[in-house]
Amino acid sequence: MNPIRRMTSLLLLTLLSTSPLLSAAPSQIHFENRQKQSGVSFVLNNGTTEDKPIIDSVLGGVALLDYDNDGYLDIFFTNGAQIPSLGKDSSAFYNRLYHNNHDGTFTDVTARAGVRGEGYSMGVAVGDYDNDGWDDIYVTGVNRNILYHNNGNGTFSDVTARAAVAGTSGGKKQLSVSAAWLDYDNDGYLDLFVTNYLDWTAENSKVCGAPGKRLSCPPSLYGGEASILYHNNGDGTFTDVSTATGIGAQIGKGMGVAIADYDGDGWMDIFVANDNERNFLFRNRSGKGFDEVGIESLVAYTEDGVPVSSMGVDFRDWNNDGRPSLFVTALGGETFPLYRNEGNGLFSIDTYPAGTGFATFRMSGWGAGIVDFDNDGYKDLFSANSHVSANADIDPQQHYLQANAVFRNLGNGTFTDVSAQAGAAMQAHAAHRGCAFGDLNNDGKTDVVVSTIGSPAELLYNTSTDKNHWILIQTVGVKSNRDGIGTRIKVTGESGQVQYNHVTTAGSYASSSDKRVHFGLGADTSIKEIELLWPSGTVQTLRDVKADQVLKIVEK
Amino acid sequence: MKTAILCFLLAVATGRVALAGPCSGIETELAQVSVKLAHDAVEAAEQQLDPISQSHPDCPAVLLAQARVEAARGQDSKAAAGFERYLLSQPEDANGYAYFARFLLDRNQYQRADDMSSMAMAKDPNAAPALAVRGQILDMKGSPQQGMDLLSRACQLDPEDIRAQFDLGSMDDRAKRPADAVTHFRKVVAIDPGDPRAWDYLALNLEPLGDIDGAREAYAKGLAVNQQGPHFDAFLDYNYGRLLMKLNRLDDSKIHLDRAVELVPQMRATWYERAKLDLRLKDYPRARTDAEQAAAIPDPNGLIIDLQIYALLEQVYRRLGEAELAAKYAELGRQTPPPVRGEHH
Repeated sequence: MNPIRRMTSLLLLTLLSTSPLLSAAPSQIHFENRQKQSGVSFVLNNGTTEDKPIIDSVLGGVALLDYDNDGYLDIFFTNGAQIPSLGKDSSAFYNRLYHNNHDGTFTDVTARAGVRGEGYSMGVAVGDYDNDGWDDIYVTGVNRNILYHNNGNGTFSDVTARAAVAGTSGGKKQLSVSAAWLDYDNDGYLDLFVTNYLDWTAENSKVCGAPGKRLSCPPSLYGGEASILYHNNGDGTFTDVSTATGIGAQIGKGMGVAIADYDGDGWMDIFVANDNERNFLFRNRSGKGFDEVGIESLVAYTEDGVPVSSMGVDFRDWNNDGRPSLFVTALGGETFPLYRNEGNGLFSIDTYPAGTGFATFRMSGWGAGIVDFDNDGYKDLFSANSHVSANADIDPQQHYLQANAVFRNLGNGTFTDVSAQAGAAMQAHAAHRGCAFGDLNNDGKTDVVVSTIGSPAELLYNTSTDKNHWILIQTVGVKSNRDGIGTRIKVTGESGQVQYNHVTTAGSYASSSDKRVHFGLGADTSIKEIELLWPSGTVQTLRDVKADQVLKIVEK
Repeated sequence: MKTAILCFLLAVATGRVALAGPCSGIETELAQVSVKLAHDAVEAAEQQLDPISQSHPDCPAVLLAQARVEAARGQDSKAAAGFERYLLSQPEDANGYAYFARFLLDRNQYQRADDMSSMAMAKDPNAAPALAVRGQILDMKGSPQQGMDLLSRACQLDPEDIRAQFDLGSMDDRAKRPADAVTHFRKVVAIDPGDPRAWDYLALNLEPLGDIDGAREAYAKGLAVNQQGPHFDAFLDYNYGRLLMKLNRLDDSKIHLDRAVELVPQMRATWYERAKLDLRLKDYPRARTDAEQAAAIPDPNGLIIDLQIYALLEQVYRRLGEAELAAKYAELGRQTPPPVRGEHH
């Protein structure tokens, strides 16, 4: 071996021994759809008509929640209704709750739980708004938004009227799509943010395309709507503070919503994905209100300076620099924008620099997630895909039914599309819509549940072939809200690898994910330190924690 | 099979009437000349035409071919006179009207071209040259679907007509049907690899199909012939520079976008795109210069709309710490409605 080669080898060896996660086992992200054996027979029914009204394409929320506190995630699906009556005239339109039997099967408990719903439902958000230790459910919709209080005995009560969270503005019911629970003023109670889409009604519904070949009309044919922010009064009621906080002044066409403290000031901020309008980033002014800084932060548009048909969004730190960044899904021909948080109030648009531009240009996406699927310590990307219009295939170069996509994080700021290698389940073409992320079987690998129009929902169990380690952290707030939503968690593995995430159920499209926070640990079998910054301001540190466990941490 | 094709091409090139006595014995040559002209191989066509025009001076098809050669050579008055003479002698030949219409169209004489192409269709609605030129004119007159239908028929009848293939491909490009566009431009470059415009279009349409290597190769081939033939494409560097920027080959992108700015300084798009590259390269002062230059150039075609300029300037000024200017363009962005998207389809 000549000297130069030897030096190179030595250098490589040194790098390998000091680089934290390089010793992690080689992995291949892989999913298996176990819907058939699960007992989950839910089919998203949009109640569409010949005229293809715009609402028929934008529904499909999923929630993963542990409603009975048995330690296993249950599944809730929202569903459509008859058009134009907007009523759930048959059981095919009921929202559904499935209880996890801990053995890979689920039982439909909708009737017992009393959550079949009313009206044309869109999205769902889960949070313990009254801090009683039981997950409550908020359902958004066209003509009905519903807050279900979890009674703690397997049943829920509709408390919408008492709580005053019906999704109306100026006496008019808004067309609500997504919702997020967050404690924007850090008072220990979860507040509720609701995105509203546009001013569609059965009466003003527009018709596009030729008879027999109707297409979903563009959103530009309708006026936009402002989002709503409800402040939790702590007594089971809420106050609409949209105007007082500045939220109500911003008219958009809100679809997805995600929350994160992007500027690290201890106050949760809100990102709203707007359909063909500039996106909103609501910067929290210390709980006193919000400034909309989407343009100033460079997250309003793509690198081409135009808005896209933003639909789903996730807001997490995908490059382990401690700063939450954004992944947004949109329509084919637009790309799915990736906004990297620079830490100076600005985001750089990394769609092409990160290597996802060309692949996503050909996709239309709804659900979105920034999740470490192979537990290598780097969060990957997932999108649930489908074109908007059921008749899209009239144009042979458009496809209504599309396969979902997963992009593996290469750990250097770039991603690679590994969908083709991720198993047969990831090749299935369907009208995918919302999706939620969570560990259904507590094996340390994050699974995905996807709602699809006209075909059974997909239960994508993560069967990635790695031997990497992990931890799932469940926060229990005491001074902070009981769920600990908003808590920033910093994990330092035994190798020194540092990662960040935060507690939230919001994100994706119209959906609500596991509130437990997942970290892949690579080859690390233990964690040197876990640091939690609670919304109350409390900083809590745990040291020398074993990997491969679900860890409940109570705020001290 | 070959003979059948030649006979067909002959019919296309000369029309029934032109095959009368004065042309006997040169049918094959005439067909070959026509193919060469359709392939834009003017010099070769001329070389083959010269001897037969001397040996068969009374053959009307020779007269038509000569007029087409003169048109291709830019000898406009001679060409026009030739077409007129031909039509006087062969007033029933659809192809004569069609080639004349094409000549007029290329000289921006739209009304006459319109009339002439209508006449061609009236004489023979199945003549490929007539279908091709009429299809293009209908597209220009705001009937793209009808235009496309006619051009499609023309391409089916004569797949080797690269002009028709090019025009149909351009329409597919405009209608965002990249797969169809690629089919047509592949045919064009297979016959005439010296046409940089066709390589450019091919590359542009391979990009959305995800064939990035193919696009890169097509741009490279286009650039290799861009200085050689009659079809210089001033936007090749612009389009290739954009692709290279997406591929994160920023230094290579700079070479092409610098050249694009030199070649087409009057276009907002070139300055705009280079300003975006400057931002990627963190050369904020140059980004400012380029962005301000882009803002100063009107873009009536809406290739780069004002909203894009505002977003760009906002970002440039913000990165330069010019808070007041950044705020001004943020506000302008807020006040500017987004472009209206067509039907979701």
